[in-house]
Amino acid sequence: MIDAEHNVVPGSRDVADVLITDLVFRLLGRRLERPLVLGIVIFAFVVAMIVFGPSSESRFIYTDF
Amino acid sequence: MASLVRAFFVPLLVCIVALGVTDAFVRVAFPTTERLSDNFSSAYLQMVVDRMRDEPRQAVVLGDSVLWGYRLRAVESAPAVLAREGIANVNLSYEGGSPANTYAMLRYLLARGVRPGIVVFNVNQKTFNAADSAYATLHPSVSVLARPLLASSDAALLAPAKSGNTFDARLDRGVASIWRLYAIRTDVRELFFGDVDAAHALHDVLETASGAKARSDAAHAPTPDKFEGTYDLAPLDDANVSVHYLSRTIETLRAYHIPALAILTPTNHTLLHDYIDNRQYERNLAFVRARLERGGVRVVDLDRAFGDRDFLDNDHLTAAANRRLARDLAKELAHA
Repeated sequence: MIDAEHNVVPGSRDVADVLITDLVFRLLGRRLERPLVLGIVIFAFVVAMIVFGPSSESRFIYTDF
Repeated sequence: MASLVRAFFVPLLVCIVALGVTDAFVRVAFPTTERLSDNFSSAYLQMVVDRMRDEPRQAVVLGDSVLWGYRLRAVESAPAVLAREGIANVNLSYEGGSPANTYAMLRYLLARGVRPGIVVFNVNQKTFNAADSAYATLHPSVSVLARPLLASSDAALLAPAKSGNTFDARLDRGVASIWRLYAIRTDVRELFFGDVDAAHALHDVLETASGAKARSDAAHAPTPDKFEGTYDLAPLDDANVSVHYLSRTIETLRAYHIPALAILTPTNHTLLHDYIDNRQYERNLAFVRARLERGGVRVVDLDRAFGDRDFLDNDHLTAAANRRLARDLAKELAHA
């Protein structure tokens, strides 16, 4: 929680904080505890890195202009 | 100990097995596209060529961006039109082609046991210019596969290959040799996004939507001054690297008894009038034609066959002109 002076109130938790640390982590964390699911998540992450990664390969530059 | 195996090794094993299954699927089912992408990998080229062994004696198209279909969709390129008209072919031309690249690709095909029924290739006068980017430079992916196949005297004429002994290069080769998905990552991205990667594809969409692409195209409209120096009109002889590789291509086709059809590339004489409408250009064209015909290669001279409206620039044809080119080639191939 943030007070009128834009300072975080000690000990308070805003909605985002609750969502991230509690809901998401609890939902995901519980599943990631299962080795099979964790393995598939790592696999999906690796494939996504290959597919969506930036192209750093040298291109044969076509120079007509 | 059991919890360590469960927490670390089991997920790792699951991931490796899943990657292995994906790799097996990629090896068997990765599609062969109508033409090479402008960023094709050596692994993809190897896969395409190996699949060609299953369909022997078909036509193979080698050449540069003119036959590749520069600024056109793959289905609009002349070889794709030709295929739809019943003349099966594999289009192995690519942006940045040249006689050196044509020869290297031919050597690679032969080394992999592919014997084309006929080779169709274009000869572009601009690639006899030492200043041309493809004059003595192989496409990097072709270079990886074909350069080791060249005689040392041939290879010596080429620009030095990019160093393959850096740690990065060796690591890249090592990973690519055991992991197919990684080896063809550029082709996967081209397949999914139609561009070199997702970021470029998104950038293109935004540029098109904002009108920036149209403004950029208008600013880069071809005007004669942009082609000053593109065509070198020094008399051609055997010292020219492109002449050397053209001769080596002719010799090889003859040695392997492979019929061939050479296209003298359509050229926009209206746009390039100040530079190429002179005797030396005609002499160079006649030199190339004579060299091809002496080696037993059929020649289709399309240098002046198309009008200004058929071109996108100096030598790349519109979609309609590609359809006409395909019809012309179909007639020639019927007699071959």
